[in-house]
Amino acid sequence: MNKNKFLPPIVCGFGAAVLTIVPGIKSFSCCLIVPLAGILSIYLDHRINKSELPIRIKHAIWFGFMTGIIATLFATSLDVLITYLAHTNDFVQALPQTEAVIRHYKLNQVLDQTMSMLRQMSNDITMYGFSAFYTAGILFSNFIINTIFGILGGILGMIFINKRTSV
Amino acid sequence: MEASHRSNLPVKKINILAALVERTIFRKRAFRFLLFLLLALWCFAFSFDSLFNGSIEAAITYPFLKYIFHLVCHQLNEKSFLINGNYLMVCARCTGIYLGAFLTSIVALLYTKRTSLTLRWLYISMIPMLVDVASNTFHIYSYSKIFAFFTGLFFGSTVFIYILSTIENNFTDNLYTK
Repeated sequence: MNKNKFLPPIVCGFGAAVLTIVPGIKSFSCCLIVPLAGILSIYLDHRINKSELPIRIKHAIWFGFMTGIIATLFATSLDVLITYLAHTNDFVQALPQTEAVIRHYKLNQVLDQTMSMLRQMSNDITMYGFSAFYTAGILFSNFIINTIFGILGGILGMIFINKRTSV
Repeated sequence: MEASHRSNLPVKKINILAALVERTIFRKRAFRFLLFLLLALWCFAFSFDSLFNGSIEAAITYPFLKYIFHLVCHQLNEKSFLINGNYLMVCARCTGIYLGAFLTSIVALLYTKRTSLTLRWLYISMIPMLVDVASNTFHIYSYSKIFAFFTGLFFGSTVFIYILSTIENNFTDNLYTK
């Protein structure tokens, strides 16, 4: 088994995960971090493993997907770790604002149900530094978003490499 | 008898070919329709709270949608469109990118010809967006939602064409001809 095959998605996925938690980078690069990691991943694979050209779409999708999965695992782990150390995070800090927006709807019954669940998560984080529900939520949403954007990055990377080498 | 059988052969071949072409066009349309649905769902999700402001559904989904779109966008209010008293879940530039892809998917449903573009157009579509981002970062001019939206719209529609053509030219060719 070629160990180098998994190196580009691991490196790029880890890089993307680190960048997604750095304040400031997010407002600058928006949704481009994971797609860029996907592009870089397939480019690195092409350089390291000398993969045959033209790159096939299945290969590109696989690399994008792997990058997304790795980014998800690292981003969730880093988020959980930082939350555990700080006993707070973006979610806890944004909760009053979220509550104000939901209160604006003036739907008391629904508000109570939704807010009690969110407050429970916030209290767990503030007291113990960990909330299982919050962790499951970020893992799920990170997985969906990162894999989709990773696959898009992989396809874009394939376009760049195939078109450049065919000229 | 034999002669009539021979004369039927090209007709049969043409019929088979026509059926294949028809099936290919149908599958291509089906695939493009799937992409259109996915993009419509995505655009609907980020504008849901603005479109249904005040409803129970909007109140329930607000925190979850806010978190999901927080993963793909900074969601700064000063850089987002205010619609129906609520800010969209993504900034003006991201709104442009996703709407651009969505609008192009509608065009792709109507225009089923295969497209293949050179990389030049992808670079050209990136330039206005990069110039806008750089100009805002270095305070050459102040942020404009409209400009961010249109640069994103241009980029999103171009990227969608590239991704669609790549998938169709590589992956779905096998599906179409099976």
